[in-house]
Amino acid sequence: MKRLKQFINHDLNLSILIGITAVVLLWSAVSFGTSMFSMRNFQSMAFQIPEFGFLALAMMLSNMIGGIDLSIIANANVVAIFTSYVLNGQWAAGTEGISRVLLALALAIVCSCLFGFFNGFLVSKTSAPPLIATLGTMTLFKGLGMALTGGSSVGGIIPEFAAVGKAIWFGVPVIFWIFLIVTVLLGFIMSKSGFGRKLYLYGTNATASRFSAIPNERICTLTFILTGLLSGIAGLIILSRVNSAKVGYGDSYLLQTMIVCVIGGIDPNGGRGTVWGVLIAVLLMQIMSSSFTIMSLSPYTKKLIWGFMLILVLGLNHLIKTYTNRRTLRLSMKGENQL
Amino acid sequence: MDTILEVKHLCKSFIGVKALKDVSLSIRQGEIHCLAGENGCGKSTLVKNIAGVYTPDSGEILLNGHSYRSLTPVQAMQEGVQVIYQDLSLFQHMTVAENIALAKLKFEKNRFIHWSQVYKIAQEQLDKIGVTIDLNQTVGEISIANRQITAICRALAQDAKILFMDEPTTALTNKEVSQLLKIITDLKEKGLAVIFISHKLDEIFSVADTITIFRNGEKIGSFASSQLDKKKLSYYMTGREVEYPRYYRTVKNDTPVLKVDNLTKAGQYSNLSFSVRPGDIIGLTGLLGSGRTELAMSLFGLNPPQSGSVTIGEKKVSITSPGMAKKYGIALLPEDRFTQGLFMDRDIKENLTSSLIDNLTKHGILDKKEEKKIAEDSVEQLNVRTPSIDTVIGTLSGGNQQKVVIGKWLATHPKLFIMDTPTVGIDIGSKAEIYQQIQAFASGGMSILFISDEIQEILANCNRVMVLSEGKCVKILEEEDLAQENAAQILSELIGHHSSAGKEETQ
Amino acid sequence: MKKLQIDRFQKVLILIIVLYSIFVTIKNPSFFQIATLFDIIRTSSTTMIVAIGLLVVMLSGGIDVSFMSIALFGSYTAINLMISAGINNIFFAFGVSAAIGAVLGLINALLINWLKLPPFIITLGTQNLFHGVMTTFIGDKSFGAGVLPRCLSGFGRSSILNIGGSKLTASVIPVILVGILTWFILYRTMTGRGIVAIGNNEESARRAGFSPFRIRLFVYAYSGILAGIMGMLYVCQTNALYPNKLVGDELTVVAAVVIGGAKITGGMGKILGAVLGVAIIYLLNTTLIMIGLSSSWNDLFVGTILVISVAVTSYQERVRNRNHLIFTE
Repeated sequence: MKRLKQFINHDLNLSILIGITAVVLLWSAVSFGTSMFSMRNFQSMAFQIPEFGFLALAMMLSNMIGGIDLSIIANANVVAIFTSYVLNGQWAAGTEGISRVLLALALAIVCSCLFGFFNGFLVSKTSAPPLIATLGTMTLFKGLGMALTGGSSVGGIIPEFAAVGKAIWFGVPVIFWIFLIVTVLLGFIMSKSGFGRKLYLYGTNATASRFSAIPNERICTLTFILTGLLSGIAGLIILSRVNSAKVGYGDSYLLQTMIVCVIGGIDPNGGRGTVWGVLIAVLLMQIMSSSFTIMSLSPYTKKLIWGFMLILVLGLNHLIKTYTNRRTLRLSMKGENQL
Repeated sequence: MDTILEVKHLCKSFIGVKALKDVSLSIRQGEIHCLAGENGCGKSTLVKNIAGVYTPDSGEILLNGHSYRSLTPVQAMQEGVQVIYQDLSLFQHMTVAENIALAKLKFEKNRFIHWSQVYKIAQEQLDKIGVTIDLNQTVGEISIANRQITAICRALAQDAKILFMDEPTTALTNKEVSQLLKIITDLKEKGLAVIFISHKLDEIFSVADTITIFRNGEKIGSFASSQLDKKKLSYYMTGREVEYPRYYRTVKNDTPVLKVDNLTKAGQYSNLSFSVRPGDIIGLTGLLGSGRTELAMSLFGLNPPQSGSVTIGEKKVSITSPGMAKKYGIALLPEDRFTQGLFMDRDIKENLTSSLIDNLTKHGILDKKEEKKIAEDSVEQLNVRTPSIDTVIGTLSGGNQQKVVIGKWLATHPKLFIMDTPTVGIDIGSKAEIYQQIQAFASGGMSILFISDEIQEILANCNRVMVLSEGKCVKILEEEDLAQENAAQILSELIGHHSSAGKEETQ
Repeated sequence: MKKLQIDRFQKVLILIIVLYSIFVTIKNPSFFQIATLFDIIRTSSTTMIVAIGLLVVMLSGGIDVSFMSIALFGSYTAINLMISAGINNIFFAFGVSAAIGAVLGLINALLINWLKLPPFIITLGTQNLFHGVMTTFIGDKSFGAGVLPRCLSGFGRSSILNIGGSKLTASVIPVILVGILTWFILYRTMTGRGIVAIGNNEESARRAGFSPFRIRLFVYAYSGILAGIMGMLYVCQTNALYPNKLVGDELTVVAAVVIGGAKITGGMGKILGAVLGVAIIYLLNTTLIMIGLSSSWNDLFVGTILVISVAVTSYQERVRNRNHLIFTE
């Protein structure tokens, strides 16, 4: 019992999150029964999670350094457009079949990292505020996609690639496996590696990290490159599921990624939160999303709920923070009396 | 004379600190009342409680006979309380005229702005104290002394009856200080109560009628200034009769660790040359903006110099980043502990190892066992009082926080440790401990560049002192000079020197 | 401060507009006529209004991305009300829409003040919340030209100037009024100076006796009012009302205001700058076809201008800060 209490107090946000997820699961089980708890529904959820999940991880990284990346969705879409130009043969440079897929993947990775690097360069080298810098690059990337496609969707990609989006391995979609592996890897990097520690410190207080001989510019640029890469992977997954790419796909994800980060315990001011929190929040979000689909809510009602949820969660976090601050004050006063 | 302000049994706590403990005080009209005490003794907290910025935990404040449990800023202003904070609270992008007049117009509940009135008010205040400043310049464009005057004018415009000034002279030259002190004396003649907060003894004695001394959040006592002399005052401020133990260099190795030749950065400092031997504690002193912090930043790779050379050991180096400074064995304890030195909402362990992450990383993975060990060793070595190394650093007292900043750089085993005002906002006990530690490091062969403007602490800890003024080295005082009876006075005169006066000296 | 000052930044913007116009004229002489100008004014008039509102918010150090939602909410509700009650009065339309805008703006301000979190995230939440509330509880039907109150299209079509067949829309009247009112508030009232003051330094402003909370209430309410007016003006111009228009175009307006020289950190920004920023975006919008590009190229140009202007101004400030030993990122 004491250990449980310790765990709950150790990370209040995460504990509350796990609690809420359990309650929502229970509620959906009671309300929808088999339409929610069926193999088929779980599988379709597992197909839907990754594209959104990767975008959420990207947003999480940018939030952790106290910034924000508005360009993730534009990045994903433009990478998808580039890739599908290769895959449908227009930019294939004479490659066929599997070598064409490899070329496409290479291009996607290089491009998404370059986009991320560009963001990182703007933020770290010119000190542009991330919100405005990425608003600029979002418009720029979108513009690049629009200029290329004129706004229409690019399809006709070779079936080898699309197969990945539908493939299943041990009963679980391959793209979900990819998402899980990347999440675990990222979680490992954030909690165990030197880079992860530097990233947290940089996010907590960038000035102090500069004075601690942490190379701020490099950390910031690397974070944005990772953000770009994750967005690029999201783009590839979208392409493999939808079979085509276009500017403006998934624009509503921007709000949802932010909600997921906030629910997952990421502090938008930087330096706080874990990958695991975001992972659970992504799952919670998908369960709710599926419930909405079963309830056949209109997109407008969903908007209402998402907006309400963001404000609600921010409010709850605020109350929790006030509570913990008071507790810290109380404890420290006690401590001082003892000394 | 009438009592205009009375404080009774005021208490105020913050996370981890009892900033004010049962303080009572009374201030009369037409007097200059000094609040004296070392940094972090509670002077500023008291002022903020009276001005309505903080809400006291308990106690009573009487202004013009009206009793308050706590005040709002507006109530405080209505009672004629005006505060000039250390940061001056000016609006950088607004003109001098607007900075002077805005608060008055706001206070008088004007709904509309008439610019002619703004300029009229501003000019009137300048005339009152007989100074001229271009009213159309923005505050960002004028000198610090003029900003100080702008802030005083703003207070005058609002019909101040009680004027608080929080360390107004930190960045001023001697000439500017005496001009300021004259203005303050004039204001007193006009019937204002001026409460002057300072830790500089000379200033205190030259203007104060009454002196109230604080230590560790407690009021030690109020005295007529004739009742005290410097020695007594400093005894009450620090709470000890004996001065801090004096440092003498014992290391025998004279090969310089660091040599600086003709180092120059336009607008900041010029032609600085000196060398540092193992075991040296070199005092670097001067006013704010004299080049002391600028030089420190240059040596730490954050402020690249334009010409001149830095030699470490035998090698001429150009230090372009803190990472490189660390590689050459240079550490910096920054001036601003809260934003530059510490990660306030992270734990002690993470703070202590923040400059060591690369050393603790093998194949990209952080060695957490090693990290824990280093943190525990540092906590023990520096005697940081904390329940555990997992405690959030923001909950510790200033002294213990500072020990962690020292520890975080000590763990990199630096050859040269630059300490920029290491005892700001630290209680007396920790101060003595930190001095002891610094002296022990030096005796062990480390070189230390000790930046400070507290003369007593420089005299106690340094075996050589370099005095800067307006970016130039005014004088380097050797051990013999520092041993003289009147060393403190010589030093304080050198620090305040305007550069023109400095030139006369060298002739 | 007494006179209308044009700073360097705005001079650059004007220069860009002039050079670009000359370039377009060379490429396509049909650009250079009064009709083009009037056309740009008409299409940009709605955006001008919300851009000025956003500028006021940014001057105070905040940001608002919910104004398009507010605009839609206000106009949609007002028109529903007018249709069901049979009211046909242009002032009623604008009044109700603006009043609703004010209320929603106040909600923004209260949330920002309570949660003490980045206003971007909060207003992004309310953007969705407001839109969701409107479509769920008030309605999600579209209204065509036939059902809308007559006075609206009448105002949308009317003009105040006719030069050789080119008509200057009456929509400039609200734009000019809003511009003058905002200028008056910012430079002639205590509240206006308070807005600039809290944008400069909130703590100092508080010490000078300003209440950041009250100023914030005013700022977001004002932004809401302007959004309400803009929503109704939009309906007048398009003569139709859909529950999914406007929302989603916020960030373009943010881009315009930032291009116009407003700082996201507050305290700096001019009305003329915001107007010029909007003008550049609409100039590009209307002229890309004239120089042989499709309108799809719009974002590419806007993005480039935005990135360059942000990078240059931020970099200058960074260098300045570093020289003063300020190491904020």
